[in-house]
Amino acid sequence: MAFSVPYLGHGVGLRTKHFPHLWEGTARADWFEAISENFMIRGGRPLAALEKARETAPLVLHGVSLSLGSTDPLNIPYLEDLQALIRRCEPAWVSDHLCWGSVGGHYAHDLLPLPYTEEALVHVVERVQAIQDRLGRQILIENVSSYLTFSPSTMSEWEFLTEIAERADCGILLDVNNIYVSAANHGFAAEQYIAGVPADRVGQIHLAGHADMGTYLFDTHDGPVITSVWELYRLAVRHCGRVSTLIEWDDKIPEFDLLCAEAERAREIEMTELGQSYAKSA
Amino acid sequence: MLSLRELQLNFFHSIASIPGGGNANFSPGLVQVVEGRDKLGPEERLNIYAQMYYARLIEVLREDFSRVAAVLGCERFDRLVRAYLAHHPSTHPSLRYLGRHFAAFLAAWPEAASLPFLSDLARLEWARLEVFDAPDVEPLRVEHLHGFSPDEWPSLKFQLIPAFHALQSAWPVHEIWAAATDETSADRSCERREKTAVRIWREGFAVYHSKMDATEQAALTAVQAGEPFAGICATLASLVPTEEAAPMMGSLLLRWLEDGILVNHKA
Repeated sequence: MAFSVPYLGHGVGLRTKHFPHLWEGTARADWFEAISENFMIRGGRPLAALEKARETAPLVLHGVSLSLGSTDPLNIPYLEDLQALIRRCEPAWVSDHLCWGSVGGHYAHDLLPLPYTEEALVHVVERVQAIQDRLGRQILIENVSSYLTFSPSTMSEWEFLTEIAERADCGILLDVNNIYVSAANHGFAAEQYIAGVPADRVGQIHLAGHADMGTYLFDTHDGPVITSVWELYRLAVRHCGRVSTLIEWDDKIPEFDLLCAEAERAREIEMTELGQSYAKSA
Repeated sequence: MLSLRELQLNFFHSIASIPGGGNANFSPGLVQVVEGRDKLGPEERLNIYAQMYYARLIEVLREDFSRVAAVLGCERFDRLVRAYLAHHPSTHPSLRYLGRHFAAFLAAWPEAASLPFLSDLARLEWARLEVFDAPDVEPLRVEHLHGFSPDEWPSLKFQLIPAFHALQSAWPVHEIWAAATDETSADRSCERREKTAVRIWREGFAVYHSKMDATEQAALTAVQAGEPFAGICATLASLVPTEEAAPMMGSLLLRWLEDGILVNHKA
């Protein structure tokens, strides 16, 4: 069993605020990540922007509602919509989160934490395998920021993530900011987390900003990446090698140039750590 | 010990069942398996998720129904959304559909009894959203009609683009929409009973709406019913003097073509 996705360089999230740059031809980025659900629509400006983005640079799809860990049956209409979107925009890969967000037919629209137990492990592995079979492709699963842990857990989050990736034969989207946030909230060593993740399964890295709420860190995606997270990224690059990296900035979204400057900073770190970069800017 | 299923059901119920805030309703069985650490106990940690649940969904509906929110003001709108979510928790993976029952719920919400136009304002806002991402089609333009001979015109049929919606209200809902930009500056003079028909459509990527008079409403109803051009003309002729019907039809057709709301003519 193996996992492999192409190396795309240092990309940015595709956000409504920046759509005009697509038509102006000034949306210069190595690649774009689109939130799948935002484009599971029938027509209009967002789909036209997605088409423009695809003409401009490689594209990947990142979902928030697959609800991988849910004990509800898989949402087949959702998977059919996702498959239709995949056919439409031919993403380099598809990802979603290692969490659950729906139960009893109701959606929380949040990335809710799982207990790290054998029961949850077996359940999620089955779901990932079923999804990959239906989509006819491997997916990447992302570690989420969390604000609580469950006492029945029998393994660490990185052991849980690794076991799922190995057993389900899927990839990992390593969110370095989420590791930093959860490490602070639960008192584990972020460095140990990164060292414990199988480098050959990591197909993408996320970087983002967060907020210090006093008693906990909160994953806000509303500001620049902080210095400590950049340092953790440096460590992740050393551990994983060249991995396509994306800046997530979803609230208080800056001008496109500032977003790209964050992506450039990631590129510089990769060059410093690995000595070269093969990313191709448009 | 809770099964994974029980844990998830308890968790969702705990974070989604406290419309007024607070953490009194957290399931004891769930609290027992949540680890406390440092300054945050299990309840405080669960409460982060409960607060996020409401904050996120309120924000989504505030964006989708910004004019309703402006009329109600922040506190009342928050109360409305919390009550709405208690009756209509999201059942779709996309937040795009969270507000699909909002207008109907608002019509029966006791706190809005003094604002009877509000539900129609919500219907207009929802219609604009529906039109925003409706399927794309190439609309019919004036030049497309040049090829038809006079003999073909009576049997010509038109269809409306998918990004079209017609709405009837007992209020001048388009005026209320225009005035409802924020709570303090809302023009109350438009909150009067006045039977109104509005059409909502998308041209390119832009969404528009405008009031229809009785003749346009009748003619568009005939188009929607699949009437041929002769039938649409007959509808108009039944409403206005015969000599006015033909120029009126020409004027309406031109406006519809300019707005790009017609598609697919067929003989």
